[in-house]
Amino acid sequence: MSEQTNDARGHAEPSALAFSNGVRLSGRQWLGIGFLTIALVTGAPALWRQAERFEPGPDYRIPYELGNDYWLYARYSRLAAERYDTLVVGDSVVWGEYVRRGQTLCHYLNELAGGERFANLGLDGTYPAALAGLIEHYVDGVRDKNVILHCNLLWMSSPREDLQVYRPDQPVNHPRLLAQFWPQIPRYQEIVANRIGIVIEQHVPFCSWTNHLQQAYFDQKDVPSWTLEHPYDVPAFHGLPPTVRYEPISWTRRGIEKKDYDWVEPETSLQWRFFRHAAEVLKRRGNHVTIVVGPFNEHMLTAEGLRGYQRMHTHVVAWLEKQGLRHLEPAVLPSEEYADASHPLATGYARLARGIWSRTGR
Amino acid sequence: MLFHTWVFFVFFAIVYPVYLLVRRDNRLMNLWLMIASYTFYGWWNPNYLLLLFGTSAIDYVMVLFMERSRSQRTRKLWLIISLVSNFGFLGYFKYSGFITDNVNALLYQLGSSLRLPDPVSYPNTMLGLFGAPPEAFFTKVVLPIGISFHTFQSMSYTIDAYRGTIQTERSFIRFLTFVSFFPQLVAGPIERASNLLPQLQKAPTISRHDLADGLSLFLVGFFKKVALADYLALYVDKVYADPAHFQAPALILATLAFGWQIYFDFSGYTDMARGIARVMGFHLMLNFNNPYIATGLGDFWARWHISLSTWFKDYLYYPLGGNRHGTLNTYRNMFLTMVISGIWHGAAWTFVIWGVLHAVGRVLTRELERTAFYRERVPTLVKQLLVFTFVTFTWIFFRAQSLHEAWLVVSRIFLTAWTDPRFPLLMLVLILAVWLYEFLYTSAQVTRRLVDLVPVRLALVIFMIVYLAIVAQPSTKAFIYFQF
Repeated sequence: MSEQTNDARGHAEPSALAFSNGVRLSGRQWLGIGFLTIALVTGAPALWRQAERFEPGPDYRIPYELGNDYWLYARYSRLAAERYDTLVVGDSVVWGEYVRRGQTLCHYLNELAGGERFANLGLDGTYPAALAGLIEHYVDGVRDKNVILHCNLLWMSSPREDLQVYRPDQPVNHPRLLAQFWPQIPRYQEIVANRIGIVIEQHVPFCSWTNHLQQAYFDQKDVPSWTLEHPYDVPAFHGLPPTVRYEPISWTRRGIEKKDYDWVEPETSLQWRFFRHAAEVLKRRGNHVTIVVGPFNEHMLTAEGLRGYQRMHTHVVAWLEKQGLRHLEPAVLPSEEYADASHPLATGYARLARGIWSRTGR
Repeated sequence: MLFHTWVFFVFFAIVYPVYLLVRRDNRLMNLWLMIASYTFYGWWNPNYLLLLFGTSAIDYVMVLFMERSRSQRTRKLWLIISLVSNFGFLGYFKYSGFITDNVNALLYQLGSSLRLPDPVSYPNTMLGLFGAPPEAFFTKVVLPIGISFHTFQSMSYTIDAYRGTIQTERSFIRFLTFVSFFPQLVAGPIERASNLLPQLQKAPTISRHDLADGLSLFLVGFFKKVALADYLALYVDKVYADPAHFQAPALILATLAFGWQIYFDFSGYTDMARGIARVMGFHLMLNFNNPYIATGLGDFWARWHISLSTWFKDYLYYPLGGNRHGTLNTYRNMFLTMVISGIWHGAAWTFVIWGVLHAVGRVLTRELERTAFYRERVPTLVKQLLVFTFVTFTWIFFRAQSLHEAWLVVSRIFLTAWTDPRFPLLMLVLILAVWLYEFLYTSAQVTRRLVDLVPVRLALVIFMIVYLAIVAQPSTKAFIYFQF
């Protein structure tokens, strides 16, 4: 309580003050600041591209640790579109979950092609709903190219995988790639303020660039949180992290049992709806799209599970044919060449590559 | 709805253009502002719009009744009804749980088997009288955001109307707008009817300077909240979540950081509030004036939450007698005002102790501040550091979850070893930079001119924009003072 006499009564002296600091600009100065801000927002990512060294070598794939760095992904996809003949897009099956860089599908396709013609644009964990967002917002530099788009039916193998069921203890991966308002995704719950922020990030490269800085230089954290863990450190680029995530052993040696997945109905599947959208966007951009369906590990399915899978598979292929989309249905690999329900091991990738190469005729 | 979220930006992008179109028509302007304000408040919990509307409606009607009353006694009756309704709602939502817990604890200590029922049972019982099944409606008492702010604002109107210092507002919509004006609805400044109502009675003029000043205020507030307060909260929350696991340096730094966090958080809110109001052509009162460079506790309270300090001064301290009836009564009045101010902040013993500490500090230092030695011989910087140290110490009680925890922090500050606090260097740099800026800004003309230079101001604005855009984390963290 301030020291004033009763006679003073009023409180004119503080309320008469407009500012308690000197940070006060004129209208003209604000106009200048506005232009400067626009220049920063539009120019900073481009300038950074010039300054930041990024030279992906053969068999490059986005490091697992940078899987949420969509600005880097966009940068790589543009670069790949310039350098490579064919871009292979998909989830961790394309990325190569259980194998090294030199054992992925793209590596074996390049071996068969006798040169660097296929680029690995796989991104770990990009289920179709996320893949659709990735393609729509971060692969717009890919136009008039050959694109192999992988369709992993695992994402339709249950209502949970199909994003139809909300579980608070199981947050979705890649929320920043998802459609925020429409179509609604029951498994994805987020407050409106954050949804708007994500939509802005999807459309303004500056926002994904600032996220790139956090992903690449601050251990995938925002700067304030990073300084809390490294109170006296200076941030640094950590280079490319190791790329094998799991032991490359087959599903049978892992002890995984046969499953009868609760396949969703194709007509109501959210993931299938998003996959169709992803394919359509690529096609709309003038790309020559080839869709590879599977090969799913049918050895891991019970008889009931297999029937559900076949129903889904038939529906998917029928739609592709109806749309006139080029597609491949590689034969099921030998059981020991799968690491789990959908990921091949190195020998599986080599076999799959041979299958694709022979069918595409390139 | 929070000022620093995208939802607010969308909200304002809709509200502002329409406001600009309708502001020439006073009725339409007030109606639109009222709708916008109710949307703003209802975004959090639409149920409590009823409470906001109810308290406003009662005060509006009571003042109309006052105006029609011929005797002073009847006028007083309407004022009492208004105060009882405001304090009743405030008491129920904010203090009923605290009172019930303490009364029940006391009854238990006295060996009585009597217990006060859970406050949530009162409305359910009342509804039960009308045939509703028990506990059909309310399961717990949730404190409506900003209830202390809008009830105090509304009460200031009825008290001023009773005193005859303002004119009765006849337009119900305008009055609803005055109470719910969205920029300052949930965390102040607590505006007086004499300042805001006249502004709502005419079409506000919006000059280039208003736009520029509004932007300046908003940016500074946004920076204070997102870049500073929410950043400091990371360290403060970590330490105060489990103070038993931290040693003296970490506890001292966390307390220091909290002092700055709450300042940045609250003053950031009011800066944004004033900025938003300013671009709409409204002038809200200054609520913070560099409190951490205060040279005395009285000076501190003249700089901290000015709208609340002046509210208590006008509606509590002066009615109690102020400093008119001798030293003892003056100190009693000061003490009571400070303690009640503490309780205003929250229903917990920690807030009571916080208020008591400030009251004791204020009473003890008042005489000291009057001595020639203190006034003339003690350097200003020493005075400022003394006040800052005292205020920071009292924040321990404000921040702690319980008295036990506050005591734990205090004892560990004095009794534990000095180990690496792992306090981020960046935090320290930011705090010291702001402090230095405040010293420069409020010091002699030579240094003041330095921070007033156009290149310095431009550099500061550019720094804040770049920092917010690149470094600060996106935030949807609520303001601390929302809980009051």
